[in-house]
Amino acid sequence: MKPILAVLEGIGDTVLLLVRTLRHASSLPRQLPRFIDQCYQIGYATLPIVAILSFFIGGVLALQAGYSMSNFGAKEFIGSLVGLSMARALGPVMVAVLVAGRVGSAITAELASMKVYQEVDALVTMNIPPERILVLPRLAAVLVMMPVLAIIANLVGWFGGALVAHTVDFIALEPDKYFETLRRYTKFDDIADGIIKAEVFGFVVVLVCCSIGLRTRGGPREIGASVTKAVVTSLILILVLDYFLTKALL
Amino acid sequence: MTTTQNTARVGLFFLLGLALIWVSYETLGDGNALKKRGYNLVAGFDNLKELKAGDDVRMAGVRIGMVESTRLAGQRAEAVLRIDPTVKIAGDAKAIIASAGLLGTNYIAVDLGSTSAAPLAAGAEIRTQASPDLNTIMTQLGDLGGKLESALGSISSVMGGKEGEPGLFQRLDTLIAENSAKVDATMSNLQEITTKVNRGEGTLGKLINDPQLHDDLLASVGELKVAAGDARNFMSEAQTLVAQVKSGQGTLGTLIYDDQAGNDIKAVAANLRELSDKLAKGEGTLGKLITDDSLIREVQGTLRKADRALDGMGDSGPITAVGVVAGALF
Repeated sequence: MKPILAVLEGIGDTVLLLVRTLRHASSLPRQLPRFIDQCYQIGYATLPIVAILSFFIGGVLALQAGYSMSNFGAKEFIGSLVGLSMARALGPVMVAVLVAGRVGSAITAELASMKVYQEVDALVTMNIPPERILVLPRLAAVLVMMPVLAIIANLVGWFGGALVAHTVDFIALEPDKYFETLRRYTKFDDIADGIIKAEVFGFVVVLVCCSIGLRTRGGPREIGASVTKAVVTSLILILVLDYFLTKALL
Repeated sequence: MTTTQNTARVGLFFLLGLALIWVSYETLGDGNALKKRGYNLVAGFDNLKELKAGDDVRMAGVRIGMVESTRLAGQRAEAVLRIDPTVKIAGDAKAIIASAGLLGTNYIAVDLGSTSAAPLAAGAEIRTQASPDLNTIMTQLGDLGGKLESALGSISSVMGGKEGEPGLFQRLDTLIAENSAKVDATMSNLQEITTKVNRGEGTLGKLINDPQLHDDLLASVGELKVAAGDARNFMSEAQTLVAQVKSGQGTLGTLIYDDQAGNDIKAVAANLRELSDKLAKGEGTLGKLITDDSLIREVQGTLRKADRALDGMGDSGPITAVGVVAGALF
């Protein structure tokens, strides 16, 4: 009973945090430096790892698809498979996982520390809502950066797939043919669906990480526990939401 | 690292993202929607099948535009096509919905039309032609399968027979079972015959196997050739003879073709007939000799007398032959 209550309490707390944050949305222009800083952390600093990961995910997809599809003479469709897989599923999911691991954990650790060391209480005492300066810039930044990360992940993944399909001996697919089938079967709607998913994932990840960070009680040990909890919860939510969003967007 | 630098990086990063999204939209989506390049045509079909917005319009295999939208218009479906402005489509060109593969990718194929026809204007309706799709073909195949099934059913009923009656195979089986002994005997006879023939026994065997027969046959043919040559010579000689006869040469020619000779023969025949008549009537010496019996009787009487005289000579001793003959005669 107690775990269920804890889960429900967490959901309720997160929803209330979102409501309180949206109430301060109008203050965002006055927090532009904080917003820019969060954009830098969430977007720009995450780009290298997103690019590396996406490149190899595209390559693995092409390799695996080439191994399977060359058995029945359909290897020219590797482009369409990699294109659609990256745009609709793997691109947004992998970006969200990276954001959860790299950015979400940092957010939870920072907010949990501030909570544990009573900095948040100090803000409240000074009549500064913590949601306004701690949560709102991060949510706004993730909404702006996630589409950029997702589209870069898609493109890098496609090129990774093309490179692997061209260089691996038993596939040896010309890039022209790869991108021709990719263009034929991948529409902009697929990319748009992927961007919508990335937005939702990023928003949920940051919101959950902020919520868990601000609910931390205790000392340094609890900070670590909160970080673990935030990352695990984010990953679970990403995959669960992925299923429902995919079904809704198909 | 200053805040300004970070801000610039974030700005650059964001602009990069926007640019990539725009490039993707232009490349993969119907990016021309904002520009509205080209002119529209309407193609009406009974069924648009799998055709959807964004599919290609191709002329002779070359992409000349795309399907802008699909819609229902009364009792038919319409596809609005956006055609490249540099391409003119002849007024009599026809559009069909073609399939690019088995994976359900369709496009509109427009033929070239004639060069004399005026090009279609923007907003005009292009002529269309229905093309059979995979479902129609599968339905026809299904019908064909039904017919095949009924045909096979008929054949199997013929083979299997009706209710309570033996089928064709059963009858064949019975026939073979009942006559197997005869068939065996026939086969063994056949085998025996072929063995004999193979060994060269009997007329047929010799005919087939004996080389002497072949030589004889060749010799006979040679003789036949010689005989034919002789016959040819004979015929030519006969023809010469007939020609001579026809020309009245020689005895036979004279006999056949000379009127004088004919008349002579007729006269000879008349004389002969007269002579025979006289002989029959007993006229003349020869006639009498032939027809008169008295002469033979006299001869017979004379002979009898001579006989008696000879007998008397034997009984009366040495009498001269002249005396005996005289006594017998007188």
